[in-house]
Amino acid sequence: MKKTLTINLGGTVFHIDEDAYQLLDKYLSNLRIHFKKEEGSDEIMNDFEMRISELFGERVRLGYEVITVVEVEDVIKRMGKPEELFDAEASESKSFEQSGTKERQTVQKRLFRNPDDRILGGVAGGLAAYLGWDPSAIRIALFVLMFLYGVTIPIYIILWIIIPEAKTATEKLQMSGKSVTIENIGKTVTDGFEKVSENVNNYISSDKPRTLFQKILDVFVAVVGGLLKIILILLAIILFPPLLLVIFVLIIVLFALVFGGGVGVLYSILPNIHWHTFDMFPENVLIWAGISTVLMIVIPIIVIVYMILSQLFKFKPVANSLKWTLLIIWIVAVVANIIFAARFGLPFWGDWSHWSWDTTWQQIQMLL
Amino acid sequence: MRKGTLEYCILLLLKKEPAYTSDIIQKLQEARLIVVEGTLYPLLTRLKNSELLSYQWIESTQGPPRKYYRLTGKGEVFLGELEVSWQELNDTINHIRNN
Repeated sequence: MKKTLTINLGGTVFHIDEDAYQLLDKYLSNLRIHFKKEEGSDEIMNDFEMRISELFGERVRLGYEVITVVEVEDVIKRMGKPEELFDAEASESKSFEQSGTKERQTVQKRLFRNPDDRILGGVAGGLAAYLGWDPSAIRIALFVLMFLYGVTIPIYIILWIIIPEAKTATEKLQMSGKSVTIENIGKTVTDGFEKVSENVNNYISSDKPRTLFQKILDVFVAVVGGLLKIILILLAIILFPPLLLVIFVLIIVLFALVFGGGVGVLYSILPNIHWHTFDMFPENVLIWAGISTVLMIVIPIIVIVYMILSQLFKFKPVANSLKWTLLIIWIVAVVANIIFAARFGLPFWGDWSHWSWDTTWQQIQMLL
Repeated sequence: MRKGTLEYCILLLLKKEPAYTSDIIQKLQEARLIVVEGTLYPLLTRLKNSELLSYQWIESTQGPPRKYYRLTGKGEVFLGELEVSWQELNDTINHIRNN
C-alpha cells in the first residue's frame, strides 16, 4: 500500500505515488535550474510539463490509474536527463577531440560548495569532497584554527562568496571528481531520491533532513547573509559618487598627459597637488602611471557594481577567462603603482587639509 | 554542427506542413536526429523567439489544446538562406572529396 498525491500537470489532474512525485519534482527542478539562464525558460518548462502530462495521459487511458516510479523513470528516459540535454549543446566541440584521442576520459575536478553536506555554507563539505578527506576533520581544523589565529573566519567567508554551490547532478559529480557519465548521473539522481524517500514527511526540502541545531544555524546564516548584502549595497551607494569622481578626474589627468599642456588644467581642478613635481618625470612614465592608476581603481569598482547588480537581477555568469584576465590586469596595475610610488615617492601629494569636494566639483563644472 | 543541422531540419519539416510538437519529435526520431525529446523544446522556443516559427494553440481530440507550429515569413527567408549555404557546404565537401 502506498499513499498517493494529486497533482496538476499541464492542466490535467493525475494521481501519483509519493515517491514518484519526489522523483518527478526533482527532475523538473533540475531542468528549471538548467534553463534558468535561457530566454523564455518558463515557456520551455511549460512545454516539458505539457509533454509529460501527455505521456502520463496515455498511460492513464490504458487503464493505469496511478502514476508510479516506473512511469516517471520512463518519462525521464524519454525526455532526457538535464545533463544529457545540456551537454548535447556544450560538448559538441569536445566530441571531436575525444574521438581523436581514444576516449581518454580525464575527469575534471572542480571545487564547489556541497549543499548536501553542510553546517554553514557547505565550504568544508565541498573541500572535503574535492580533496577526498573527511569533512569532519576539515571542520575541526577550521574550528581549532579559529581560536589560534582567527583568520579562518574571514577566509571561510571569502571562500563562501567565491566558491559556487554545486546545484546540478553534473556539478555534484565534478565536486568529487567522478566522471560525468549517464550511469553516474543516474546514480546521483537516484541517490538524492533515496535520501528524500527516507524522509517522506519532508515535502519542501529535497536534501537531508536538518537537525534543530542546523536549522538554527540556517536562520543565523540567512540573517547574517541578508545583513551583509544590505551593507554591501549601502557601501556601494555611499562609495559610488566619490569613486566616479575619482575616475573622472583620473581620466582627465590621462587625457591631459596624453595631449600635453594639461598641467594648467589639472592645477585649476586640484590645486592641492604639487603638479610641478611631475615635470621631473618623463612623459611616458606619467602616462603609464596614469593608466595603471585608472585600472587599479576602475576594475574593483566594476566588479563590485557587477556583483551587486547580479544579486538584484539574474545575470549570465561571467566567463572564467575574463575573471582571470581582470584579476591579472589589476594585480599588474597595483604592482606598477607600488613600484612607481617606491621609486619616486609621493612628493606631489601636497597639503590636503583645506581641500573639499565642493571646490573641486566647482572647478570641474567651470572646466566643462 | 549537429545543432545547426537540427534547426535546419525542423525548419524543413515545418515548411512542408505545420505540425504539433509531438509530430516534429516523431519525425526527427525516425530520422535518428534526436535521441531524447527534451533537446527539442528549448530549440523550438529559441526559434520562436527569433520569429522564425510561430504557433497556435489547437484543440486536440483528447486532452488540452496543444501547440501547432508553423513557419513564418521570416522563417521561410531564413530557410532559403540556409539552403544556399547548405548547398555550398555540400559542394565544397564533394569538391574536396573528389579531388
